[in-house]
Amino acid sequence: MKQLLRDLLLFFQRDLRIASTYRSPFILEAIEALFGATTFYYVARFVDSPALRAALPQGKTYFAYSLVGFVFFDYLNAALDTFDRSLQEARDAGTLEPLLVTQVSLPVILVGSAFYPFAATTLRIAVYLGWAAAFFEFPLRAANWPAVIAVLVATLLAFSGLGVLSAAYLLLFKRGNPAKWLILGVSSIAGGMLFPVDILPPWLQFVAHLNPVTYALDAMRGALLEGASLSAIARPLLLLLAFAAVLMPFSTVAFSWALRRTKVTGTLTHR
Amino acid sequence: MPDSAIILDSLEKWFPPALGGWKAYLQPFHAPTSPALRGISLQVKQGEAVALLGANGAGKTTLLRILATLLLPTRGSATLAGHDAVREPAEVRRNIGYHAGSDLGFYARLTGRQNLQFFGRLHRQTDEFITRRIGSLSEQLGLQNSLDRQARTLSSGTIQRLSLLRALLHQPNVLLLDEPTRSLDAIAAAQFRQFLKTEVLARQGTSLFFASHTMQEIEMLADRVVILEEGKLLAFDTPAALRGATASPSLEEAFARITGRRLQPAQESASL
Repeated sequence: MKQLLRDLLLFFQRDLRIASTYRSPFILEAIEALFGATTFYYVARFVDSPALRAALPQGKTYFAYSLVGFVFFDYLNAALDTFDRSLQEARDAGTLEPLLVTQVSLPVILVGSAFYPFAATTLRIAVYLGWAAAFFEFPLRAANWPAVIAVLVATLLAFSGLGVLSAAYLLLFKRGNPAKWLILGVSSIAGGMLFPVDILPPWLQFVAHLNPVTYALDAMRGALLEGASLSAIARPLLLLLAFAAVLMPFSTVAFSWALRRTKVTGTLTHR
Repeated sequence: MPDSAIILDSLEKWFPPALGGWKAYLQPFHAPTSPALRGISLQVKQGEAVALLGANGAGKTTLLRILATLLLPTRGSATLAGHDAVREPAEVRRNIGYHAGSDLGFYARLTGRQNLQFFGRLHRQTDEFITRRIGSLSEQLGLQNSLDRQARTLSSGTIQRLSLLRALLHQPNVLLLDEPTRSLDAIAAAQFRQFLKTEVLARQGTSLFFASHTMQEIEMLADRVVILEEGKLLAFDTPAALRGATASPSLEEAFARITGRRLQPAQESASL
Protein backbone atom coordinates (compact mmCIF):
# COMPACT_ATOMS: atom_id res chain seq x y z
CA MET A 1 0.00 0.00 0.00
CA LYS A 2 2.85 2.33 0.95
CA GLN A 3 4.59 1.51 -2.33
CA LEU A 4 1.39 2.16 -4.29
CA LEU A 5 0.95 5.58 -2.69
CA ARG A 6 4.60 6.36 -3.40
CA ASP A 7 4.11 5.41 -7.07
CA LEU A 8 0.96 7.54 -7.35
CA LEU A 9 2.79 10.48 -5.78
CA LEU A 10 5.60 10.11 -8.34
CA PHE A 11 3.14 10.70 -11.17
CA PHE A 12 1.62 13.69 -9.40
CA GLN A 13 5.10 15.18 -8.87
CA ARG A 14 5.94 14.54 -12.52
CA ASP A 15 2.84 16.39 -13.74
CA LEU A 16 3.33 19.22 -11.27
CA ARG A 17 6.92 19.66 -12.48
CA ILE A 18 5.79 19.69 -16.11
CA ALA A 19 3.00 22.18 -15.33
CA SER A 20 5.44 24.44 -13.47
CA THR A 21 7.54 24.83 -16.65
CA TYR A 22 4.62 26.70 -18.21
CA ARG A 23 4.50 30.12 -16.62
CA SER A 24 1.18 31.72 -17.56
CA PRO A 25 -1.62 29.11 -17.91
CA PHE A 26 -2.78 29.28 -14.30
CA ILE A 27 -3.09 33.07 -14.38
CA LEU A 28 -4.88 32.92 -17.72
CA GLU A 29 -7.24 30.22 -16.43
CA ALA A 30 -8.02 32.29 -13.35
CA ILE A 31 -8.88 35.26 -15.57
CA GLU A 32 -10.89 33.00 -17.87
CA ALA A 33 -12.85 31.79 -14.83
CA LEU A 34 -13.70 35.39 -14.00
CA PHE A 35 -14.97 35.93 -17.56
CA GLY A 36 -16.96 32.69 -17.30
CA ALA A 37 -18.54 33.59 -13.96
CA THR A 38 -19.37 37.09 -15.23
CA THR A 39 -21.04 35.67 -18.35
CA PHE A 40 -23.12 33.27 -16.26
CA TYR A 41 -24.11 36.08 -13.93
CA TYR A 42 -25.42 38.37 -16.69
CA VAL A 43 -27.15 35.58 -18.62
CA ALA A 44 -28.83 34.57 -15.34
CA ARG A 45 -29.85 38.17 -14.66
CA PHE A 46 -31.28 38.43 -18.15
CA VAL A 47 -33.48 35.32 -17.82
CA ASP A 48 -34.26 35.71 -14.10
CA SER A 49 -37.91 36.06 -13.11
CA PRO A 50 -40.12 35.10 -10.15
CA ALA A 51 -41.58 32.28 -12.27
CA LEU A 52 -38.11 30.90 -13.02
CA ARG A 53 -37.12 31.08 -9.35
CA ALA A 54 -40.26 29.24 -8.37
CA ALA A 55 -39.43 26.51 -10.92
CA LEU A 56 -35.92 25.93 -9.57
CA PRO A 57 -35.79 23.01 -7.16
CA GLN A 58 -32.68 24.34 -5.34
CA GLY A 59 -30.82 27.60 -5.18
CA LYS A 60 -32.10 31.05 -4.69
CA THR A 61 -31.10 32.33 -8.11
CA TYR A 62 -30.66 30.91 -11.59
CA PHE A 63 -27.04 32.13 -11.46
CA ALA A 64 -26.23 29.87 -8.50
CA TYR A 65 -28.18 27.00 -10.02
CA SER A 66 -26.51 27.14 -13.44
CA LEU A 67 -23.00 27.83 -12.11
CA VAL A 68 -23.11 24.71 -9.92
CA GLY A 69 -24.29 22.73 -12.97
CA PHE A 70 -21.44 24.10 -15.02
CA VAL A 71 -18.62 23.46 -12.52
CA PHE A 72 -19.99 20.01 -11.75
CA PHE A 73 -19.79 19.15 -15.44
CA ASP A 74 -16.17 20.29 -15.40
CA TYR A 75 -15.52 17.64 -12.77
CA LEU A 76 -17.50 15.03 -14.63
CA ASN A 77 -15.52 15.81 -17.75
CA ALA A 78 -12.27 15.32 -15.83
CA ALA A 79 -13.41 11.92 -14.53
CA LEU A 80 -14.46 10.76 -17.99
CA ASP A 81 -11.56 12.23 -19.92
CA THR A 82 -8.44 11.96 -17.79
CA PHE A 83 -7.64 8.27 -18.12
CA ASP A 84 -7.79 7.96 -21.87
CA ARG A 85 -6.13 11.35 -22.36
CA SER A 86 -3.15 10.40 -20.18
CA LEU A 87 -2.88 7.13 -22.09
CA GLN A 88 -3.06 8.93 -25.42
CA GLU A 89 -0.46 11.51 -24.37
CA ALA A 90 1.95 8.81 -23.20
CA ARG A 91 1.43 6.89 -26.43
CA ASP A 92 1.93 9.97 -28.62
CA ALA A 93 5.00 11.19 -26.69
CA GLY A 94 6.55 7.70 -26.83
CA THR A 95 6.73 7.49 -23.02
CA LEU A 96 4.22 4.63 -22.76
CA GLU A 97 6.72 1.93 -23.75
CA PRO A 98 9.44 3.06 -21.32
CA LEU A 99 6.80 3.27 -18.58
CA LEU A 100 5.57 -0.24 -19.32
CA VAL A 101 9.00 -1.80 -18.83
CA THR A 102 9.31 -0.38 -15.31
CA GLN A 103 8.02 -2.04 -12.14
CA VAL A 104 4.75 -0.09 -12.28
CA SER A 105 1.65 -1.58 -13.91
CA LEU A 106 -0.44 0.25 -16.50
CA PRO A 107 -3.48 0.67 -14.17
CA VAL A 108 -1.21 2.40 -11.62
CA ILE A 109 0.24 4.56 -14.39
CA LEU A 110 -3.28 5.60 -15.40
CA VAL A 111 -4.53 6.28 -11.89
CA GLY A 112 -1.32 8.14 -11.02
CA SER A 113 -1.63 10.25 -14.14
CA ALA A 114 -5.19 11.19 -13.15
CA PHE A 115 -4.22 12.82 -9.84
CA TYR A 116 -2.86 16.06 -11.22
CA PRO A 117 -5.78 16.69 -13.63
CA PHE A 118 -8.24 16.09 -10.78
CA ALA A 119 -6.31 18.49 -8.54
CA ALA A 120 -6.13 21.08 -11.33
CA THR A 121 -9.89 20.76 -11.96
CA THR A 122 -10.59 21.19 -8.24
CA LEU A 123 -8.47 24.32 -8.19
CA ARG A 124 -10.18 25.70 -11.30
CA ILE A 125 -13.60 25.08 -9.77
CA ALA A 126 -12.51 26.74 -6.52
CA VAL A 127 -11.40 29.80 -8.50
CA TYR A 128 -14.72 29.88 -10.39
CA LEU A 129 -16.72 29.71 -7.18
CA GLY A 130 -14.39 32.19 -5.50
CA TRP A 131 -14.98 34.81 -8.20
CA ALA A 132 -18.71 34.12 -8.09
CA ALA A 133 -18.81 34.56 -4.30
CA ALA A 134 -16.59 37.65 -4.33
CA PHE A 135 -18.39 39.59 -7.04
CA PHE A 136 -21.81 38.05 -7.72
CA GLU A 137 -23.24 37.04 -4.32
CA PHE A 138 -22.88 33.31 -4.89
CA PRO A 139 -24.06 31.83 -1.54
CA LEU A 140 -20.82 30.06 -0.67
CA ARG A 141 -21.31 30.54 3.07
CA ALA A 142 -24.35 28.27 2.99
CA ALA A 143 -22.29 25.28 1.82
CA ASN A 144 -21.82 22.14 3.90
CA TRP A 145 -18.22 21.40 2.85
CA PRO A 146 -17.93 17.82 4.15
CA ALA A 147 -21.08 16.99 2.16
CA VAL A 148 -19.71 18.78 -0.92
CA ILE A 149 -16.47 16.80 -0.70
CA ALA A 150 -18.40 13.55 -0.18
CA VAL A 151 -20.44 14.21 -3.35
CA LEU A 152 -17.32 15.06 -5.35
CA VAL A 153 -15.47 11.94 -4.22
CA ALA A 154 -18.50 9.73 -4.91
CA THR A 155 -18.90 11.35 -8.34
CA LEU A 156 -15.24 10.79 -9.17
CA LEU A 157 -15.43 7.16 -8.09
CA ALA A 158 -18.67 6.57 -9.97
CA PHE A 159 -17.59 8.13 -13.25
CA SER A 160 -13.93 7.17 -13.18
CA GLY A 161 -15.14 3.66 -13.97
CA LEU A 162 -16.50 5.02 -17.23
CA GLY A 163 -13.22 6.86 -17.75
CA VAL A 164 -11.32 3.58 -17.38
CA LEU A 165 -13.72 1.97 -19.86
CA SER A 166 -12.88 4.79 -22.27
CA ALA A 167 -9.19 4.05 -21.81
CA ALA A 168 -9.90 0.39 -22.63
CA TYR A 169 -11.75 1.50 -25.76
CA LEU A 170 -8.79 3.70 -26.72
CA LEU A 171 -6.39 0.79 -26.29
CA LEU A 172 -8.45 -1.31 -28.70
CA PHE A 173 -9.67 1.24 -31.23
CA LYS A 174 -7.02 3.99 -30.91
CA ARG A 175 -9.40 6.95 -31.21
CA GLY A 176 -12.58 8.21 -29.56
CA ASN A 177 -14.16 8.40 -26.13
CA PRO A 178 -17.72 7.05 -26.41
CA ALA A 179 -18.39 7.12 -22.65
CA LYS A 180 -17.62 10.83 -22.52
CA TRP A 181 -19.68 11.48 -25.61
CA LEU A 182 -22.64 9.52 -24.28
CA ILE A 183 -22.63 10.67 -20.66
CA LEU A 184 -21.88 14.35 -21.29
CA GLY A 185 -24.19 14.46 -24.31
CA VAL A 186 -27.15 12.85 -22.55
CA SER A 187 -26.48 14.61 -19.25
CA SER A 188 -26.26 18.08 -20.75
CA ILE A 189 -29.92 17.58 -21.73
CA ALA A 190 -31.24 15.03 -19.27
CA GLY A 191 -28.98 15.64 -16.27
CA GLY A 192 -30.10 18.98 -14.92
CA MET A 193 -27.01 20.96 -15.86
CA LEU A 194 -28.62 24.27 -16.84
CA PHE A 195 -32.32 23.58 -16.30
CA PRO A 196 -34.41 21.31 -14.07
CA VAL A 197 -35.35 17.96 -15.57
CA ASP A 198 -39.03 18.60 -14.64
CA ILE A 199 -39.46 20.77 -17.74
CA LEU A 200 -38.48 17.93 -20.08
CA PRO A 201 -41.01 15.73 -21.93
CA PRO A 202 -41.91 12.55 -20.01
CA TRP A 203 -39.63 10.23 -21.98
CA LEU A 204 -36.62 12.49 -21.38
CA GLN A 205 -37.57 12.73 -17.71
CA PHE A 206 -37.46 8.94 -17.66
CA VAL A 207 -33.94 9.07 -19.13
CA ALA A 208 -32.99 11.69 -16.54
CA HIS A 209 -34.19 9.46 -13.71
CA LEU A 210 -32.01 6.62 -14.99
CA ASN A 211 -29.02 8.95 -15.27
CA PRO A 212 -26.78 8.99 -12.15
CA VAL A 213 -25.61 12.51 -13.10
CA THR A 214 -29.08 13.85 -12.21
CA TYR A 215 -28.78 12.49 -8.65
CA ALA A 216 -25.18 13.60 -8.27
CA LEU A 217 -26.03 17.11 -9.37
CA ASP A 218 -29.06 17.26 -7.05
CA ALA A 219 -26.84 16.22 -4.16
CA MET A 220 -24.16 18.74 -5.13
CA ARG A 221 -26.66 21.61 -5.30
CA GLY A 222 -28.17 20.54 -2.02
CA ALA A 223 -24.78 20.47 -0.27
CA LEU A 224 -23.36 23.60 -1.86
CA LEU A 225 -26.36 25.92 -2.06
CA GLU A 226 -28.55 24.79 0.82
CA GLY A 227 -26.00 23.32 3.23
CA ALA A 228 -27.73 19.93 3.10
CA SER A 229 -26.38 17.45 5.63
CA LEU A 230 -24.82 14.12 4.74
CA SER A 231 -27.93 12.31 5.89
CA ALA A 232 -30.09 14.54 3.69
CA ILE A 233 -28.09 13.56 0.60
CA ALA A 234 -27.54 9.95 1.66
CA ARG A 235 -29.77 8.53 -1.09
CA PRO A 236 -27.94 10.07 -4.08
CA LEU A 237 -24.61 9.40 -2.37
CA LEU A 238 -25.43 5.72 -1.94
CA LEU A 239 -26.65 5.56 -5.51
CA LEU A 240 -23.34 7.00 -6.76
CA LEU A 241 -21.36 4.59 -4.61
CA ALA A 242 -23.46 1.67 -5.88
CA PHE A 243 -22.79 2.84 -9.42
CA ALA A 244 -19.05 2.91 -8.59
CA ALA A 245 -19.19 -0.52 -6.94
CA VAL A 246 -20.68 -2.06 -10.09
CA LEU A 247 -18.68 -0.10 -12.65
CA MET A 248 -15.18 -0.14 -11.12
CA PRO A 249 -14.69 -3.94 -11.10
CA PHE A 250 -16.30 -4.22 -14.53
CA SER A 251 -14.11 -1.48 -16.02
CA THR A 252 -10.99 -2.94 -14.38
CA VAL A 253 -11.70 -6.33 -15.93
CA ALA A 254 -12.46 -4.72 -19.31
CA PHE A 255 -9.26 -2.70 -19.17
CA SER A 256 -7.15 -5.75 -18.26
CA TRP A 257 -8.71 -7.67 -21.12
CA ALA A 258 -8.05 -4.81 -23.57
CA LEU A 259 -4.46 -4.53 -22.37
CA ARG A 260 -3.91 -8.25 -22.87
CA ARG A 261 -5.56 -8.07 -26.27
CA THR A 262 -3.21 -5.29 -27.44
CA LYS A 263 -0.24 -7.33 -26.26
CA VAL A 264 -1.54 -10.17 -28.42
CA THR A 265 -2.16 -8.00 -31.48
CA GLY A 266 1.00 -5.94 -31.01
CA THR A 267 -0.93 -2.67 -31.05
CA LEU A 268 -0.27 -1.54 -27.48
CA THR A 269 1.72 1.52 -28.49
CA HIS A 270 0.12 2.05 -31.91
CA ARG A 271 -1.61 5.37 -32.58
CA MET B 1 21.46 -16.61 -10.60
CA PRO B 2 20.44 -19.10 -13.38
CA ASP B 3 23.11 -20.19 -15.89
CA SER B 4 21.02 -19.02 -18.82
CA ALA B 5 20.06 -15.36 -19.09
CA ILE B 6 17.49 -16.09 -21.79
CA ILE B 7 15.79 -19.34 -22.78
CA LEU B 8 13.42 -19.43 -25.75
CA ASP B 9 11.49 -22.63 -26.27
CA SER B 10 9.56 -23.10 -29.54
CA LEU B 11 8.57 -19.45 -29.39
CA GLU B 12 5.97 -18.38 -31.93
CA LYS B 13 4.25 -15.10 -32.60
CA TRP B 14 1.42 -14.58 -35.06
CA PHE B 15 -0.32 -11.26 -35.63
CA PRO B 16 -3.87 -10.66 -36.84
CA PRO B 17 -4.03 -8.79 -40.16
CA ALA B 18 -3.87 -5.01 -39.88
CA LEU B 19 -7.36 -3.90 -40.92
CA GLY B 20 -8.28 -0.27 -41.53
CA GLY B 21 -11.49 1.76 -41.70
CA TRP B 22 -14.81 -0.01 -41.22
CA LYS B 23 -13.22 -3.44 -41.49
CA ALA B 24 -11.43 -2.77 -38.21
CA TYR B 25 -14.82 -2.19 -36.51
CA LEU B 26 -16.59 -5.07 -38.24
CA GLN B 27 -13.82 -7.55 -37.47
CA PRO B 28 -12.21 -6.21 -34.28
CA PHE B 29 -11.03 -9.60 -33.07
CA HIS B 30 -9.63 -11.25 -36.17
CA ALA B 31 -7.66 -14.45 -35.66
CA PRO B 32 -3.86 -14.15 -35.99
CA THR B 33 -2.81 -15.16 -39.50
CA SER B 34 0.54 -13.42 -40.10
CA PRO B 35 3.56 -15.24 -38.70
CA ALA B 36 6.28 -13.07 -37.17
CA LEU B 37 8.25 -15.70 -35.25
CA ARG B 38 8.17 -19.43 -35.97
CA GLY B 39 9.41 -21.94 -33.44
CA ILE B 40 12.43 -20.07 -32.08
CA SER B 41 14.46 -22.06 -29.55
CA LEU B 42 17.78 -20.86 -28.15
CA GLN B 43 19.66 -20.14 -24.94
CA VAL B 44 21.76 -17.11 -24.09
CA LYS B 45 24.30 -17.72 -21.34
CA GLN B 46 24.73 -15.37 -18.40
CA GLY B 47 27.16 -12.61 -19.39
CA GLU B 48 27.00 -13.51 -23.08
CA ALA B 49 26.41 -10.99 -25.90
CA VAL B 50 24.12 -12.24 -28.65
CA ALA B 51 23.24 -10.26 -31.77
CA LEU B 52 20.03 -10.60 -33.76
CA LEU B 53 20.71 -10.25 -37.45
CA GLY B 54 18.03 -10.22 -40.10
CA ALA B 55 16.45 -8.16 -42.83
CA ASN B 56 13.63 -5.73 -42.02
CA GLY B 57 10.57 -7.74 -40.96
CA ALA B 58 12.60 -10.80 -39.98
CA GLY B 59 11.16 -10.70 -36.43
CA LYS B 60 14.01 -9.09 -34.45
CA THR B 61 11.93 -6.34 -32.86
CA THR B 62 9.02 -8.72 -32.20
CA LEU B 63 11.38 -11.04 -30.34
CA LEU B 64 12.83 -8.20 -28.26
CA ARG B 65 9.35 -6.89 -27.45
CA ILE B 66 8.23 -10.32 -26.24
CA LEU B 67 11.28 -10.44 -23.97
CA ALA B 68 10.47 -6.93 -22.73
CA THR B 69 6.92 -8.14 -21.83
CA LEU B 70 5.37 -5.68 -24.30
CA LEU B 71 4.01 -8.51 -26.45
CA LEU B 72 2.54 -11.90 -25.61
CA PRO B 73 3.79 -14.92 -27.57
CA THR B 74 1.24 -17.02 -29.45
CA ARG B 75 2.92 -20.29 -28.48
CA GLY B 76 6.06 -21.46 -26.72
CA SER B 77 7.84 -19.75 -23.87
CA ALA B 78 10.42 -17.07 -23.13
CA THR B 79 12.33 -17.13 -19.86
CA LEU B 80 14.58 -14.30 -18.68
CA ALA B 81 16.82 -14.59 -15.62
CA GLY B 82 14.77 -17.62 -14.61
CA HIS B 83 11.38 -15.90 -14.92
CA ASP B 84 8.67 -16.60 -17.48
CA ALA B 85 7.84 -13.52 -19.57
CA VAL B 86 4.10 -14.30 -19.57
CA ARG B 87 3.54 -15.57 -16.03
CA GLU B 88 6.04 -13.35 -14.18
CA PRO B 89 6.27 -10.12 -16.19
CA ALA B 90 7.11 -7.94 -13.16
CA GLU B 91 10.07 -10.18 -12.25
CA VAL B 92 11.24 -10.11 -15.86
CA ARG B 93 11.03 -6.31 -15.97
CA ARG B 94 13.05 -6.11 -12.77
CA ASN B 95 15.87 -7.94 -14.54
CA ILE B 96 15.90 -6.24 -17.93
CA GLY B 97 16.94 -2.92 -19.38
CA TYR B 98 15.22 -2.16 -22.67
CA HIS B 99 16.10 0.42 -25.28
CA ALA B 100 13.84 0.47 -28.32
CA GLY B 101 16.16 2.52 -30.52
CA SER B 102 13.63 5.34 -30.68
CA ASP B 103 14.60 8.94 -30.07
CA LEU B 104 11.27 9.52 -28.29
CA GLY B 105 10.22 8.43 -24.85
CA PHE B 106 11.11 11.36 -22.59
CA TYR B 107 9.01 14.12 -21.09
CA ALA B 108 9.97 17.07 -23.26
CA ARG B 109 9.51 19.73 -20.54
CA LEU B 110 11.54 17.88 -17.91
CA THR B 111 15.32 17.89 -17.87
CA GLY B 112 17.29 14.77 -18.70
CA ARG B 113 18.10 14.33 -15.01
CA GLN B 114 14.44 14.75 -13.92
CA ASN B 115 13.39 12.19 -16.53
CA LEU B 116 16.02 9.71 -15.34
CA GLN B 117 15.11 10.24 -11.69
CA PHE B 118 11.45 9.61 -12.48
CA PHE B 119 12.11 6.37 -14.35
CA GLY B 120 14.70 5.25 -11.79
CA ARG B 121 12.13 5.64 -9.02
CA LEU B 122 9.57 3.68 -11.06
CA HIS B 123 12.21 0.92 -11.10
CA ARG B 124 12.06 1.09 -7.28
CA GLN B 125 15.61 2.38 -6.88
CA THR B 126 16.59 4.67 -4.02
CA ASP B 127 17.42 8.32 -4.71
CA GLU B 128 20.98 7.75 -3.55
CA PHE B 129 21.48 4.84 -5.96
CA ILE B 130 19.88 6.77 -8.83
CA THR B 131 22.10 9.81 -8.22
CA ARG B 132 25.22 7.63 -8.11
CA ARG B 133 24.27 5.73 -11.29
CA ILE B 134 23.36 8.91 -13.19
CA GLY B 135 26.71 10.40 -12.15
CA SER B 136 28.86 7.48 -13.30
CA LEU B 137 26.89 6.52 -16.43
CA SER B 138 26.52 10.09 -17.69
CA GLU B 139 30.28 10.49 -17.51
CA GLN B 140 30.86 7.27 -19.45
CA LEU B 141 28.24 8.20 -22.06
CA GLY B 142 29.38 11.83 -22.35
CA LEU B 143 26.09 13.24 -21.08
CA GLN B 144 27.25 15.42 -18.17
CA ASN B 145 26.53 18.68 -19.99
CA SER B 146 23.10 17.60 -21.22
CA LEU B 147 21.54 16.30 -18.03
CA ASP B 148 20.16 19.61 -16.79
CA ARG B 149 18.66 20.72 -20.08
CA GLN B 150 15.02 20.09 -20.96
CA ALA B 151 14.68 16.97 -23.13
CA ARG B 152 13.03 19.00 -25.90
CA THR B 153 16.29 20.91 -26.43
CA LEU B 154 18.45 17.81 -26.86
CA SER B 155 19.55 16.36 -30.20
CA SER B 156 18.28 12.94 -31.26
CA GLY B 157 21.73 11.45 -30.68
CA THR B 158 21.78 12.80 -27.11
CA ILE B 159 18.26 11.48 -26.51
CA GLN B 160 19.44 8.07 -27.71
CA ARG B 161 22.31 8.09 -25.23
CA LEU B 162 19.95 9.28 -22.50
CA SER B 163 17.67 6.38 -23.38
CA LEU B 164 20.58 3.95 -23.12
CA LEU B 165 21.45 5.43 -19.75
CA ARG B 166 17.85 4.89 -18.66
CA ALA B 167 18.00 1.23 -19.76
CA LEU B 168 21.14 0.74 -17.64
CA LEU B 169 20.05 2.87 -14.69
CA HIS B 170 18.72 0.07 -12.46
CA GLN B 171 21.68 -2.21 -13.24
CA PRO B 172 19.75 -4.89 -15.13
CA ASN B 173 21.00 -8.47 -15.56
CA VAL B 174 19.93 -8.57 -19.19
CA LEU B 175 20.15 -5.66 -21.59
CA LEU B 176 17.81 -5.71 -24.61
CA LEU B 177 18.75 -3.23 -27.31
CA ASP B 178 17.01 -2.64 -30.61
CA GLU B 179 19.43 -0.98 -33.02
CA PRO B 180 21.15 0.91 -30.20
CA THR B 181 23.42 3.09 -32.34
CA ARG B 182 20.86 3.98 -35.02
CA SER B 183 20.83 7.75 -34.35
CA LEU B 184 24.40 8.13 -33.16
CA ASP B 185 27.17 9.68 -35.20
CA ALA B 186 30.19 7.51 -36.02
CA ILE B 187 32.29 8.68 -33.06
CA ALA B 188 29.45 8.44 -30.54
CA ALA B 189 28.53 4.97 -31.88
CA ALA B 190 32.14 3.77 -31.53
CA GLN B 191 32.34 5.18 -27.99
CA PHE B 192 29.07 3.54 -27.09
CA ARG B 193 30.21 0.13 -28.39
CA GLN B 194 33.41 0.47 -26.39
CA PHE B 195 31.36 1.34 -23.32
CA LEU B 196 29.17 -1.72 -23.81
CA LYS B 197 32.18 -3.98 -24.28
CA THR B 198 34.35 -2.78 -21.42
CA GLU B 199 31.80 -1.60 -18.86
CA VAL B 200 28.54 -3.46 -19.39
CA LEU B 201 29.82 -6.82 -20.68
CA ALA B 202 33.31 -7.18 -19.21
CA ARG B 203 33.05 -5.38 -15.88
CA GLN B 204 29.39 -5.81 -14.91
CA GLY B 205 28.82 -9.18 -16.58
CA THR B 206 25.46 -8.08 -17.98
CA SER B 207 23.99 -10.27 -20.70
CA LEU B 208 23.36 -8.45 -23.95
CA PHE B 209 20.73 -9.36 -26.55
CA PHE B 210 20.65 -6.81 -29.33
CA ALA B 211 19.33 -6.30 -32.84
CA SER B 212 21.59 -4.55 -35.29
CA HIS B 213 22.16 -4.02 -38.98
CA THR B 214 25.73 -2.85 -38.41
CA MET B 215 28.21 -5.66 -39.06
CA GLN B 216 31.05 -3.80 -37.37
CA GLU B 217 28.95 -3.56 -34.21
CA ILE B 218 28.04 -7.24 -34.29
CA GLU B 219 31.64 -8.32 -34.94
CA MET B 220 32.87 -6.16 -32.09
CA LEU B 221 30.28 -7.06 -29.46
CA ALA B 222 28.61 -10.39 -30.19
CA ASP B 223 29.85 -13.71 -28.86
CA ARG B 224 27.18 -15.39 -30.98
CA VAL B 225 24.83 -14.29 -33.75
CA VAL B 226 21.22 -15.31 -34.36
CA ILE B 227 20.24 -15.12 -38.03
CA LEU B 228 16.52 -14.67 -38.53
CA GLU B 229 14.65 -14.79 -41.82
CA GLU B 230 10.87 -14.35 -42.00
CA GLY B 231 10.52 -15.32 -38.36
CA LYS B 232 12.63 -18.49 -38.61
CA LEU B 233 15.93 -19.08 -36.91
CA LEU B 234 18.34 -20.06 -39.68
CA ALA B 235 21.60 -20.07 -37.73
CA PHE B 236 22.93 -19.42 -34.23
CA ASP B 237 26.70 -19.49 -33.79
CA THR B 238 29.81 -17.41 -33.31
CA PRO B 239 30.66 -14.97 -36.12
CA ALA B 240 33.80 -17.02 -36.90
CA ALA B 241 31.81 -20.27 -37.07
CA LEU B 242 29.19 -18.68 -39.34
CA ARG B 243 31.92 -17.42 -41.67
CA GLY B 244 33.66 -20.81 -41.59
CA ALA B 245 30.53 -22.84 -42.22
CA THR B 246 29.68 -20.79 -45.30
CA ALA B 247 33.29 -20.29 -46.44
CA SER B 248 32.64 -16.54 -46.40
CA PRO B 249 35.27 -13.83 -45.98
CA SER B 250 32.89 -11.64 -43.97
CA LEU B 251 29.87 -11.93 -41.71
CA GLU B 252 27.90 -9.97 -44.25
CA GLU B 253 28.70 -12.57 -46.92
CA ALA B 254 27.85 -15.36 -44.50
CA PHE B 255 24.51 -13.73 -43.75
CA ALA B 256 23.76 -13.45 -47.47
CA ARG B 257 24.62 -17.12 -48.08
CA ILE B 258 22.64 -18.40 -45.09
CA THR B 259 19.52 -16.40 -45.99
CA GLY B 260 19.87 -17.02 -49.73
CA ARG B 261 19.99 -13.31 -50.42
CA ARG B 262 22.23 -11.85 -53.08
CA LEU B 263 24.48 -8.98 -52.14
CA GLN B 264 24.29 -6.12 -54.60
CA PRO B 265 27.60 -4.29 -55.16
CA ALA B 266 26.21 -1.19 -53.40
CA GLN B 267 25.28 -3.28 -50.37
CA GLU B 268 28.74 -4.68 -49.92
CA SER B 269 29.60 -2.25 -47.22
CA ALA B 270 29.82 -2.25 -43.48
CA SER B 271 26.09 -2.48 -42.91
CA LEU B 272 23.08 -4.22 -44.41
